[in-house]
Amino acid sequence: MFCLFMKKASVLALLCLLTAAVLAGCGKSEKVIAKLDDAREAKIGVMTGTTGEQLAGARFPNADIKSFDDVMDAVAALKAGQIEAVIMAYSNAVYVAKHNPELWYLPEPVEKEDMAVGVRKGNDELLAAVDRIIAELQDDGILEDMKRRWFKQDLSPYEQVDLAVPASGAVLKVGVSATREPFCFTDENGRITGYDGELARRISAKLGRPVEFSDMKFSALIPALQSGKIDLAISMAPTGERKKSINFSQPVFASAQVMLVKKAPGATEGDVSFLQRAGDSFYNNIILENRYLLIMDGLKVTVIISILSTVFGTLLGALICFMRMSPNKALRQPAKVYISILRGTPVLVLLMIIFYVVFASVDINPVLVAVIAFGMNFGAYVSEMFRTGIESVDRGQTEAGIAMGFTKAKTFLYIVLPQAVRQILPVYKGEFISLVKMTSVVGYIAVQDLTKASDIIRSRTFDAFFPLVMVAVLYFFISWLLSLTLGYVERIADPKTRRKRVF
Amino acid sequence: MIKVEHLSKQFGELTVLRDVNAEIKKGEVISIIGPSGTGKSTFLRCLNLLEMPSGGRIFIDGSDILDKSADVPKLRQKMGMVFQSFNLFAHLTALENLTIGPVKLLGRSKEQAEKKAMELLKMVGVAEKAGSFPDELSGGQKQRVAIARCLAMEPEIILFDEPTSALDPTMVSEVLAVIRRLAKEGMTMAIVTHEMDFARDVSNRVFYMDEGIIYEEGPPQQIFESPQKEKTKVFINRVRSYSCHIDNPDYDLYAMNGEIETFCEKHALPKQTRNRALLLVEELLVVFGAWRGAQAVDLDLTLSYSEKQDSLELVVESAGDYLNPFEENTRPDQLGITIVKNLSENMEYRRVNNRNRVYLTVKK
Repeated sequence: MFCLFMKKASVLALLCLLTAAVLAGCGKSEKVIAKLDDAREAKIGVMTGTTGEQLAGARFPNADIKSFDDVMDAVAALKAGQIEAVIMAYSNAVYVAKHNPELWYLPEPVEKEDMAVGVRKGNDELLAAVDRIIAELQDDGILEDMKRRWFKQDLSPYEQVDLAVPASGAVLKVGVSATREPFCFTDENGRITGYDGELARRISAKLGRPVEFSDMKFSALIPALQSGKIDLAISMAPTGERKKSINFSQPVFASAQVMLVKKAPGATEGDVSFLQRAGDSFYNNIILENRYLLIMDGLKVTVIISILSTVFGTLLGALICFMRMSPNKALRQPAKVYISILRGTPVLVLLMIIFYVVFASVDINPVLVAVIAFGMNFGAYVSEMFRTGIESVDRGQTEAGIAMGFTKAKTFLYIVLPQAVRQILPVYKGEFISLVKMTSVVGYIAVQDLTKASDIIRSRTFDAFFPLVMVAVLYFFISWLLSLTLGYVERIADPKTRRKRVF
Repeated sequence: MIKVEHLSKQFGELTVLRDVNAEIKKGEVISIIGPSGTGKSTFLRCLNLLEMPSGGRIFIDGSDILDKSADVPKLRQKMGMVFQSFNLFAHLTALENLTIGPVKLLGRSKEQAEKKAMELLKMVGVAEKAGSFPDELSGGQKQRVAIARCLAMEPEIILFDEPTSALDPTMVSEVLAVIRRLAKEGMTMAIVTHEMDFARDVSNRVFYMDEGIIYEEGPPQQIFESPQKEKTKVFINRVRSYSCHIDNPDYDLYAMNGEIETFCEKHALPKQTRNRALLLVEELLVVFGAWRGAQAVDLDLTLSYSEKQDSLELVVESAGDYLNPFEENTRPDQLGITIVKNLSENMEYRRVNNRNRVYLTVKK
């Protein structure tokens, strides 16, 4: 069995490699952009919710503008030739160009902008405090020093400064988007760092409040700030649109949005062999900075969320099923409504509603939110499975049990349930596997699961291949192992196997 | 042992049991017979409260089981029930079907229960199937396992709800043989059945149920040889009948003919009799104007087959003006009437409640 699986797995891996090699080989775009005006009708990538997105539309009305959630996705698309340019913050562009010799940024900025710290409207006390701290840091020359240390032109390592951050007191919740090196990224110890990270720690130290980071999509920062999930969002350009939603501190430093493009062909030095590239890629993405630990942690979170949601969802499903099958209309009707609503809503939307709306003002562990959301969704599906399973046991057997002297509950337990379970398990297994895969969206509410781990790695290495393939293989493994377990349960639930054991 | 007073049961608007009074004594074997839909099964199912009675009282060994304080599951343990559709537990082997009750309810040890179960399976003749699952057994074997399952609970009475109705004719006798054996051993039983010969041999008393009550009861000789009441007589002599009501000129003639054919086949009537019956029905429909294009139709048609006399009788009743088809020259087309006269005997015409009624027996 295991041998067979290994064969299957190796075939699968081979297929993946081949596909990736073929895809990587065929760049689609030939156009070379040497100045901003060349991009008038180009395909331009931007990051959702950033100033770049607004700028691009205004500056290049005829261009085909594509929105991405993260910098690394846009860079991957640029490298693959799906787009011809990416508009991003200057410091990000420096970092990306540093790591990707075939890319560079146009020296002429698309637009200059200031970066600042976002604070919820109405939280004037905190805003005043942050403004004061920024002024102090400015006067002490610390901001200048931070700029020098984080926004490097060469590949030398960052100089980290150890800061004494208070350990107790009211927690300062800081929202960041840690896929924007060097502004903000996750270092080899899994710590949020970068310019924004250091700024957050300095503010926290000056305020005397311990800092707690929430790593989320850039576009989720403002809603999180508004709903009170975070106290500060670092760092953002204060545009007119954003100022309507939140308040901004005084500018921390002057930056610009620039355009990242591919260099002209031939400008890239010497091609390396595919194997060499694959080897480097493996080393960069998995080994360097102990990145496999990040993946392991993500794996743990994914498994925990999957199993807990399954348990919670199964219990909830049983309750819903009980209500749905009740002769009492007051119980049956809500169950029906629950089932149709939950089955008709994407789980990602449900997840965000629970996190940003239902628990908006409650300090709740996002993993718990994920378990609740996936459990609720799973519950709706399995309750209907339970119902068909129970209804598949003919009423006559229930009657026979009751006529024999069993109570209703015991009849259900001894007669109906064992048969229903057998009916349910095959579909349950399928639903469970799809739940495991569905959990890959928890990154939206700042949970570091397996997919998010690969996002973090990709945001550092700008290499799509290894992190994605590795994560795909890991998801496959989790599903395979867990469904193997359920398959075992299925076998022991089949009375005919039991007989083989007994007789 | 069981005493039933003024038992009634309604399903919504429909009254199934009106006023049932009965007593079953220890060691008695009661057969409950009667036409379909007269509440025989409902009566039986009320006895162990599978159906909640709408009114009346049921005493078991003197205690009222409808009393709120009655321990119903405990009482049910003393009353086994055998169902028409066997209702074996599909996830358990034949042996486990017998042991689950004693182990979980009577607190027997597994070994004890299994030993007893094997004895019972031997007694009903399916010991070699002890390890088989219900779906691997024939209908007759299933029903015998179901009977053994009841016996495993050591009941004081067994209620049989049409135990052979779902069986192939070839398997009926093996199940009846087991029930006969139980009767001989003195088990108290109440049996709803359509097997008249069996009911006659095995029971001490027969309940004939009709109109929601026990219409007539007595020893089998009385019920089967010389029933006292009208309906009992009809039932005993002329057990099977088919009737239909036509109130629309566009009725489905083919569906009706199909049903008449099925009815004749069910009672193994010769093909000739069947064809005659169909022809007679058709001619009489013409005579009474129930034909396509007619203005208004209100007609009842009943075919009844008496097993005892082996005769098929047809009754047609129609609303409308006086019309005796057997009088000479009442109708322009005499051909139809001639056909009717040739195919039947014992023709009779009556005018009842301003309706024409024709009785005739189909010639063999």
